[in-house]
Amino acid sequence: MTDALFLALSTLAIWSGWRVFRVDSMVRASFQLMVSFIAVGLIAVLLAAPYIGIATIFMMAVEMMVMALFMVMFMMNPAGLNPMVMVHQHRFSIAAGIIAFAGLTAAVLLSDLPVQRVPEGVDVVRNLGHELLGPSMLIFETAGVTLLATMIGAVVLSAHSGRYGASDTGSLPPGLTPGGEPAGRKPENGGHHHHGGH
Amino acid sequence: MAMNWLSALARGAEIPVFAVVGAQGLAPVEGLRHRPGLRLVDSPRHARVLLVAGAVDGAHKTALERLHAQIPTPRGTVWWQAAPLFARGQGVAGDDPLPAIRAAAGADDPDQRPDVPPHPWQGMGPHGQGGRGMMGGNPYGRPMAMTADDIRDGLALDVYNARFGPFLPMLPPGLVLDLTLQGDVIVSVSVVSPPFEQGMQGDAPDLCAARMLRLMGIAPRAARARGALLALPKGSGTRRRLAAWLRGQTVTERPSPLPEALPGLEWAEAVLWLASFLPSHLRAACMPRQAA
Amino acid sequence: MIAATLILLLALPPLVWVAAMFDRIGAGRGTVVMGPLQNGAALVLRPNTETEAPDRLNRLLAPGWYLALALVGLSVVPLAEDVVASEISTGLVLWGACEALTVVVVFLHGWSPNAPLPLIGAYRYVAIALPAMLLSMFVLIGAALPAQSLSVVEVVEAQREIWNVIRQPLGLPLFMALGLAITLRGPFDYADGAELAGGTSAEESGPALALWHFARAAMLVAFSAMAATAFLGGYLGPVLPGPAWLLLKTLAVMAATVAAGRFFVRMPPARMLTFLWVVLLPLSFASLALVGVEVLP
Repeated sequence: MTDALFLALSTLAIWSGWRVFRVDSMVRASFQLMVSFIAVGLIAVLLAAPYIGIATIFMMAVEMMVMALFMVMFMMNPAGLNPMVMVHQHRFSIAAGIIAFAGLTAAVLLSDLPVQRVPEGVDVVRNLGHELLGPSMLIFETAGVTLLATMIGAVVLSAHSGRYGASDTGSLPPGLTPGGEPAGRKPENGGHHHHGGH
Repeated sequence: MAMNWLSALARGAEIPVFAVVGAQGLAPVEGLRHRPGLRLVDSPRHARVLLVAGAVDGAHKTALERLHAQIPTPRGTVWWQAAPLFARGQGVAGDDPLPAIRAAAGADDPDQRPDVPPHPWQGMGPHGQGGRGMMGGNPYGRPMAMTADDIRDGLALDVYNARFGPFLPMLPPGLVLDLTLQGDVIVSVSVVSPPFEQGMQGDAPDLCAARMLRLMGIAPRAARARGALLALPKGSGTRRRLAAWLRGQTVTERPSPLPEALPGLEWAEAVLWLASFLPSHLRAACMPRQAA
Repeated sequence: MIAATLILLLALPPLVWVAAMFDRIGAGRGTVVMGPLQNGAALVLRPNTETEAPDRLNRLLAPGWYLALALVGLSVVPLAEDVVASEISTGLVLWGACEALTVVVVFLHGWSPNAPLPLIGAYRYVAIALPAMLLSMFVLIGAALPAQSLSVVEVVEAQREIWNVIRQPLGLPLFMALGLAITLRGPFDYADGAELAGGTSAEESGPALALWHFARAAMLVAFSAMAATAFLGGYLGPVLPGPAWLLLKTLAVMAATVAAGRFFVRMPPARMLTFLWVVLLPLSFASLALVGVEVLP
């Protein structure tokens, strides 16, 4: 039963992962990826990791939703009109795909994977909590706080209301003397309209 | 068997009616809202009967025909104090359209427009997309979204150009706008045709307040309405004007021209802004643009 | 487990009917008892509509997914002591996943017909529903803290002495905000509101629309049962048997949610977004912090 479920879910994960690159719309691709992650999450539930499995579903639903939303914002691609191609940089991606597949396969085949049955009656969620907030606390909290700081920083940088007024009207700090030069570092070659190279 | 049972049950249902409000139609349609036996719906897709209340300008004939086509079959049409623009349904001259609506709920109008796409497919890119890249272009005769600067934060997102009106239930009846939207933010506006004349009745404060509150999801009762003012942005004219209507006063403020006032507002704010002026004043504000 | 699932499946349609009756009372319309059935039957008999170049699969499936999510969410609610449809140790997280996927489903429902008003409704809803969902997570962690468990069964058992609604008074009202958001109602109905002529369901008719309405009401039932369980002690109560208490509390939360949906005003979305991030989310942090101080030994 578990084996059949595992096979079905892995097939679904791989199939929907492949569909990500074959569908013709960003929104469809995002949600195909979400389906793939949901299948992986359910496999984690089968592997007696209910918290990690369901939390994966939860997080991926939110993340893919946000991704799809941004896709619609940046490239409004309605449901059935204006098909798009989901693959580009063919040569590079083929090479990257082959290398990644070979590397991961080698890792799976060559490493000595532990075979441990989870004993009945072990409180896995509690153990995970003790691990995360015990020995792994430092790395867990560092990653968490870094991510939070990144998010707040991104919002502050992109917000319209700058510290010294609206961003599209300059948002210059006041001078050190009354009516003097604006304090702080001056932006090089005039401006905020510097587009990143991607 | 099951079908018979369902139909028997459905016989007692309220008739979903989509009301097209023409000239002088606003107040009579508002009066229909609480009549038992029918339910005014917001979308023609949800309706069984098309009710045209008040005269509709001949210039909007095509729009009205399209609306008729959007009501799923079988459908019925009632022209209430309105001259029929096309030969479907029946007319009512009196004050009570309910018997005619009941009759129309059993009618089955034939299509008024042929059910074919108005434009042929016009994909031009290598994968059938509209533009040469992945965005823009004109597939199916529809202008596709293309990035452009947002007027609020300069972030280049997709703009969407479309014509809204004249029978959208959240806009003043008759008003047709060509809008450029970024998400739900209005970037530019041009008025294609002004709202219909609604007369003195359309300017009644309680009616105007009810219309505005309906857009905010509540029914007009005094206790609830108090919270409604807090929901509107502080210092905005919409809050001031709704407060006046709730006190039973007439709003004397006049709207500035729409192409100047609406850009920068979100859809919901813009809709509330439009609903916060007297229909007669709004019509006046749209008229000179029309003449020019 | 199978018995509990069957009971839920049998109880859902009558509860959906009751939810629709509450809605009619709230809207002040007559024929309270038969009205929902008659209107539902009339709607089922209407045809589905076609839009131009839709995403057919998602358009077809979205209402069904919505209903399925309501059922999965409902399945973690214990009906009586040791009677629960899905016995997992992380029931609260599963409920959270249902909330998150509900946002996805509502978005797909608005995106798939390929029409402007449904699409605007869809992404407006995402912007509002995601923070509302965050809020509910903090509140539910608050409910889980006294139980020291993510299992909904344990959360109920931890309320034997005192209900969470008294221990953490902010919890239930904040959770109601989520309830309004995932059932697309009143102040949080940014998906299907009147200012978008029906929003994500503006292009739907016939059985698809009927199923969407049914799923909305089913989600209201699931939310009410969950709120009754997490904050009002679920099946706990004197004299009456457990399931009867759960039913009574569920109906009470349902009535309160319908009333809140009719009472509170829908703000313009930008204002609601500020309100959520600046007022409601900090309130939920405060609530969680208070609960944390309370449960410290």
